[in-house]
Amino acid sequence: MLPNLFNNTTIPVLQEVLSFSQARHNVLAGNIANADTPGYLVRDLSVDTFQERLKEALTRQAAPREFTLGDVADREPDDAMREVRDSLKTILFLDGSNVGIEQQVTEVAKNQYLHNLTVSIMNSQFRLLQAAISERV
Amino acid sequence: MLRALDISTSGLVAQRIRLDAISGNLANMSSVRNERGELQPYQERFVVFQPDEELRSRDGAVGVKVSEVRTETVEPKYRYQPGHPLAIKEGKWKGYVAYPNMDMMSQFVDSLIATRAYEANLGVMEVTKNLSDQSLRIIG
Repeated sequence: MLPNLFNNTTIPVLQEVLSFSQARHNVLAGNIANADTPGYLVRDLSVDTFQERLKEALTRQAAPREFTLGDVADREPDDAMREVRDSLKTILFLDGSNVGIEQQVTEVAKNQYLHNLTVSIMNSQFRLLQAAISERV
Repeated sequence: MLRALDISTSGLVAQRIRLDAISGNLANMSSVRNERGELQPYQERFVVFQPDEELRSRDGAVGVKVSEVRTETVEPKYRYQPGHPLAIKEGKWKGYVAYPNMDMMSQFVDSLIATRAYEANLGVMEVTKNLSDQSLRIIG
């Protein structure tokens, strides 16, 4: 019952974006912590790959599925996000030559903006649901 | 909007490199040998900036990058120190020691300018972040 309630909103997508930005924040924090570590290679999670996979998952989800009789409860639609979740595990190792503390802090700020944006949208989604449940604005 | 952050970051990096060069200049104010140990007074290093086309926003704003670090080629400053073990043995400058010819005051002024420019870039970043926070208020 409850998963279906959320699946009509963008909350599952936002959840993926949130966990991505949190994972990326951890990686970037590690970079700053190791700013003076000799031989340390800068790590990052690829935003492009993540967004590419998210886009693919969304188009797959939006595509009308073919139903045959007796096959209605066969697949849960939130399976589509599995590959998106995998992109959290692929850590990029960048060549440490040209990356300084400033770039890392800027990436943290940009990531924070993505996080805040996602939380804001999520909040308004929950407010909408709340309004529908309580029949009160 | 977020491209502005990248552009400001390129400014931060460029000014930090410039500050590094200035501290190197000041540290080597009396280096009479070069990095290979040969007898040649230190020459001032200049950091040259150029617009970075890779950091171009859709509206044409460009970032900055260090195009080269140039080494000054000026006559050394000769000081008469005949008892110095590195004094020149013969010729016109016999008994003199060649020191770097560098103006300490202009180095200080340059370092002030670089610091202010760094702060200015930080200020722009603060404004950019404020702007994006304000746009978030449209949703929230």
